[in-house]
Amino acid sequence: MEELLKKRRTLQETMNFMAALSAGIEPILGRGANSMTMSAGRNLGRKFSEGARHTDDLLEAIEEVRRILVANSCLWGFEPFKPVDQHELVSVTENGARQVSLVFRDCMIRQALFRFGHPQQGSLCNMMYGFFAGALESIMGKKASLEIKHAGENACLKVLTVEA
Amino acid sequence: MLEMTIHEKACRGCQLCLDVCPTKCFTFNEETGKAVVAEVGNCIACLSCSYICPSGAISHANHHEVQNFYRNIHFSQRMEKFL
Repeated sequence: MEELLKKRRTLQETMNFMAALSAGIEPILGRGANSMTMSAGRNLGRKFSEGARHTDDLLEAIEEVRRILVANSCLWGFEPFKPVDQHELVSVTENGARQVSLVFRDCMIRQALFRFGHPQQGSLCNMMYGFFAGALESIMGKKASLEIKHAGENACLKVLTVEA
Repeated sequence: MLEMTIHEKACRGCQLCLDVCPTKCFTFNEETGKAVVAEVGNCIACLSCSYICPSGAISHANHHEVQNFYRNIHFSQRMEKFL
């Protein structure tokens, strides 16, 4: 138990360091900071999804991403969301891209940012965009983006778009 | 099921909740000059409305509260391999 508590403290310190690091590089690198974290996330997504099942179904691909995250001990709770007046979870844009809204609940990035008083939607949040882009490139073989539509105190709403 | 209520007497009609809600859960009643919950089914429980409301008029029930990862032993056990 003592060993676990020690590791818990280490985890907290690591995440706080990550938040401080991301907040520190943003004023120096500007938009480059987002590219850097996005790229790191994409590499991680590709690496984790190397042995993932391939599918062209967006909802199945999202489930595969969830499975990959769980298998790699990453607890990022998310779920597909649709407004009441929308019939299907997946919508298709004018240029044929498929979109689905995702609600992210338990997120250690958000918790780390709040603990240090950093704003949301910064470069560290962009890492998740990169992760989804990397993982979905492997699973579906298509380009994907994860746009932050709303960053809330208890949950975030993001829109996942997979190109046609 | 998630519940959301606006305490009518506390609401000042500032409409900040309408502005912050990403899923358009609220409407504004012009007659009473107060916000009302229009579609609770759209609520994602981000709690932004509740945090931004100057008079603390909005409350939620039966929703998922985020877990502080560093206070969760189960989480720490699973994250061990990254440390």
